[in-house]
Amino acid sequence: MAPRGRRLSSISLEVLIFLNGWYSATYFLLELFVFMYKGLLLPYPTANLVLDVVMLFLYLGIEIIRLFFATKGNLCQRMMPLGISLAMTFPSAMMAFYYFLVQTYVLRLEAVMSAILLIFCGLELVLEVFTLATFNRYFCLSLGGSWVGGGGRVHGEASCYLLVSNLLSSCP
Amino acid sequence: MGQVSGLVPSRFLTLLAHLVIVITIFWTRDDNIRASLPPSFTSDQYKKEDSELVTALSITLGLFLIELAGFFSGVSMFNNTQSLFSIALHCCAAVSLAFFVFESWECSTYWYIFTFCSVLPAFTEVIMFITVFVLKKKSF
Repeated sequence: MAPRGRRLSSISLEVLIFLNGWYSATYFLLELFVFMYKGLLLPYPTANLVLDVVMLFLYLGIEIIRLFFATKGNLCQRMMPLGISLAMTFPSAMMAFYYFLVQTYVLRLEAVMSAILLIFCGLELVLEVFTLATFNRYFCLSLGGSWVGGGGRVHGEASCYLLVSNLLSSCP
Repeated sequence: MGQVSGLVPSRFLTLLAHLVIVITIFWTRDDNIRASLPPSFTSDQYKKEDSELVTALSITLGLFLIELAGFFSGVSMFNNTQSLFSIALHCCAAVSLAFFVFESWECSTYWYIFTFCSVLPAFTEVIMFITVFVLKKKSF
């Protein structure tokens, strides 16, 4: 656990996870409608359509678990949930890639939306690795009995300058 | 103090909706170019219209970058006025551009949509940047 009074959570990661949650919900609803449209309009072998729709529900489950663990791990400054979320980023990215290129019929709209999902996954992957490294560093140092850095001021309010300054400072 | 209300995800989603349609128009601009040319046209005329539309779309993407930078850096994320303004304009843009694609409007109409729904929010975003970084005022 990180030393008390020292805020190590990554604000950028939290912002990304929050927006990713909303975006995934929109993506899921959009894909449901798109599959209805494609199922009516395009010549689908039934097995392919069923597979694609079932994969969509599976994808929803994976996303919910991944984002839940990521936000809990980040806010509580624990490494385990963040690690689970990191591991789940890979199946999530694979599913997004499936909907981007590999599925039976890909609409232009679906391609763009899946590409944005992949960008989200990539950015979160990078930020989660940084955050894990930060937690690890301070965890090891606190075990060794030495405190690094200036006083841990607990910020009670989230101000605009806080957001900007934290994004610009060393803690990503 | 700025709070995370429903405005923040709404703004993000309408911004993305507009962005998605602009990227789609990059792909499907052939119909729109043909709609703005006479029934028999030369390939030079086609190329001219094409380059004009591509320029407009590219500038739109640049303005999007400005607005997304302002949003993600926190400069205007919690400012309710800018958020409402942005939501309204990008919603109008998304609907108009959906018509633009489906009804094959001519390229000249894109410039109107561009002026009202891309330049205006980017302009207010730049004003927010100046307010926060130069005048050092809190944006909420």
